[in-house]
Amino acid sequence: MSAKSEDAIQDKIINAIKKIPKGISAAQMAAVVPELSSAELVGAINKLLQQGLIDLYKQNGTLIYKLKNQSTQQIVKGADNEEKVVYNLIEEAANKGIWIREIRNQSNLSNPQLTKILKSLESKKLIKAVKCVNASKKKVYMLYNLEPDRSISGGAWYQDQDFESEFVDILNRQCLRFLQQRADKIRNNPRGPIAGRTQSYATAVEVQKYITDLGISKVKLEVEDVITILNTLVYDGKAESNVYPDGSKVYRAIESLIPPPGLVQVPCGVCPLLHKCYSTGLITPQDCKYMTEWLEQ
Amino acid sequence: MSHQLGRLVSQILQRYFGEIVEKVGNDLFMYGIKPIGMIMKTTGLPRTQVIESLRTLLKFDLAKFESTSGNVDYKLLPDNVLVLIRYPRYLLQMKSKYGTEAELIVEELLQRAACSATLLLVSIANKYKDDTEKNLTIVTLKDTFISLATATYIQQAPVAQLKDGSDIPDLVQVASIVPDLDTRLLMQAMVNPADIKDNVYWKVNYDRFHQDFTDEIMINAMTRRIDDDAGEVMRLLIQEMYLSSSAWAEESNVVALTDLREHASRLKDRPLLQQHLEHYLKVMEENGAGFIRRAGDAGGGQYSVQVKWAARQLVESVLDHVVTERLGSKAARIFRLIRAKKYIEEEDIQKNAMLPNKECKQLTYKLLEEHFVSVQPMRKSQQVSGTQKGIYLYHVKLFDVVHVCREMCYRALHNLSRARSQLVSVHARALDKQRRVRTIVHGMRLRSEPQKNIDDVLETLTPPEVSLLAQVEKQLKQLSAAELELDRNLFILNWYLVYP
Repeated sequence: MSAKSEDAIQDKIINAIKKIPKGISAAQMAAVVPELSSAELVGAINKLLQQGLIDLYKQNGTLIYKLKNQSTQQIVKGADNEEKVVYNLIEEAANKGIWIREIRNQSNLSNPQLTKILKSLESKKLIKAVKCVNASKKKVYMLYNLEPDRSISGGAWYQDQDFESEFVDILNRQCLRFLQQRADKIRNNPRGPIAGRTQSYATAVEVQKYITDLGISKVKLEVEDVITILNTLVYDGKAESNVYPDGSKVYRAIESLIPPPGLVQVPCGVCPLLHKCYSTGLITPQDCKYMTEWLEQ
Repeated sequence: MSHQLGRLVSQILQRYFGEIVEKVGNDLFMYGIKPIGMIMKTTGLPRTQVIESLRTLLKFDLAKFESTSGNVDYKLLPDNVLVLIRYPRYLLQMKSKYGTEAELIVEELLQRAACSATLLLVSIANKYKDDTEKNLTIVTLKDTFISLATATYIQQAPVAQLKDGSDIPDLVQVASIVPDLDTRLLMQAMVNPADIKDNVYWKVNYDRFHQDFTDEIMINAMTRRIDDDAGEVMRLLIQEMYLSSSAWAEESNVVALTDLREHASRLKDRPLLQQHLEHYLKVMEENGAGFIRRAGDAGGGQYSVQVKWAARQLVESVLDHVVTERLGSKAARIFRLIRAKKYIEEEDIQKNAMLPNKECKQLTYKLLEEHFVSVQPMRKSQQVSGTQKGIYLYHVKLFDVVHVCREMCYRALHNLSRARSQLVSVHARALDKQRRVRTIVHGMRLRSEPQKNIDDVLETLTPPEVSLLAQVEKQLKQLSAAELELDRNLFILNWYLVYP
């Protein structure tokens, strides 16, 4: 068999595998190149495996062949077996990342060895370590070019693992302003209360558009992000949410059912020492400074 | 029955009835049920004074007695003592609903605790005989009295009945019959008050006033949440509710849409309401905090008022305000979040409240410390092991939180009352002088003495004294206003506690 025909056969096989990214079985492979005998086919496949162009997996008892992707190919050059194993584990974890202890358990490598491998991979810019927002000490590894998952990075609200409460506060206020602009439509609407209510509702998409148009956010906010903000408004008691028949959530600014009650209008209601205030002793109502100040207002 | 309530009760009793009654009342509060002998022993007061105090307490319905095997035991009714500070609110309600005459009648009746109709009307008429501004006549007074009795703002006092072989009376409730008062007899009685033979006694029916208050709160809440017309619909619903349901029912009987429409058509100044009544009901059902519920479709739709639920919503609203003011709006967000999710873990609170971990934890623990939220530890296994992380579920026990808030109200009320008595005692001399000058001037005016003499007397109050008195008066007013507001607050809390 000439070298040229061998190349042609390899190309054929790779093209066939490329078409089906899930991988093809041995039987399918034989169908692709019917002109080869099984021994010749095995020889060709072995060559490809050696070159690291394809991978062999066992699935449900049958062998399947898959194309190795480019980056895997790159690392193979000048990497030893351990590095490959670790790299594969990290690759499998995708953008969720993998914890060092899990790599160790799954790869059966010793701790110093693993640290060394991870360092070398990191220095080659193949993988990166990302700090987890939920547990500040926990580091997870993932491929260098991947964007960390929301559960790891915390989404739009985190900058370098720090929660940006000011950003959230500003968004919270802006959302409320948007809702309040519409809220009054329900009051004495000449077209009746139902029309008024519909006008006072705002969908999350509308709010998202408003926020994006304002340009206060550097990061792009998804509708889900805006819904989280709107939900905080609901928990603040400043808005109520409802669901439209098509399943989309709508929000409306509301007022509290009652004006501030008597307890918060007197100094005692907000006094931090209320529970230590007695008829005698250091803290008494008779010579309460807060009370005097309040009376002299 | 808490320590705070006891402090407040004794403070109120002291202000309205003086030290001796306060002593007896406080003693009764601390020990619960007690006979006269025991009261004498613990208070160290002579028998006559104890009896006199008990008589006062019994007269104003602040205490009750019960007889067991020949002994008479007395018991304080702390809730009724708190009602004493609500009197101005009753009067205001009367004035705005029925006018000045009704206000005078209720005021006089509250002062006398119980009084016969004839004596009441005659004494009011005599008191304001010379007052040309009010322009009272016995006829209008009589009519107002009858309408008040019909609306059950006043009712017949319980009648004492003696059982055979016992000299301890039982107080028996009697059904109120609207009296038929003869104007001519009233006129005669005015001239000759000693001849009055009327022995049917009347007293104020607090419960009826409280119903008015709850209605008003619900209507105002609807007005705030939706608009005036929705408030008006609520008013109509409540009116209908009283026709068919018992007064403190948890949920009203159903009201048919046709009835509502008929009532709405009489409201000529609200064209929107007439046009969109059904829409209003729908919006109120969906966005009205669950105050009303569509109960059926018969007759174009039937609605019922969820009074118990409304009370709950209002109480939650009060608590939200309290938490906001005490611990900040972020804490209020956490409080509301926990309430909305029923049971929630600490981590989920952080995620949903969108607060930095540290701040969120701090506020949650602060809420826990002030007893606004509770925590329920969950263990997977019975064994306590260090490695296993426990699950702690936060939740709001509304009933408990209402009690916490009520205690705070009691404390605040007590403190205000204390500050007030302090203020009065510090400026006692100036206040006394002012009172004396006023009486003298009043007397001189009646005798129509020359203006120059009156001015001389008025000038005995020096300018610094006048400014001081003005300031004290302003502060006293502020304290009374705050007391009334606190009482409103307490009223909502107690309303929630009415329903078991």
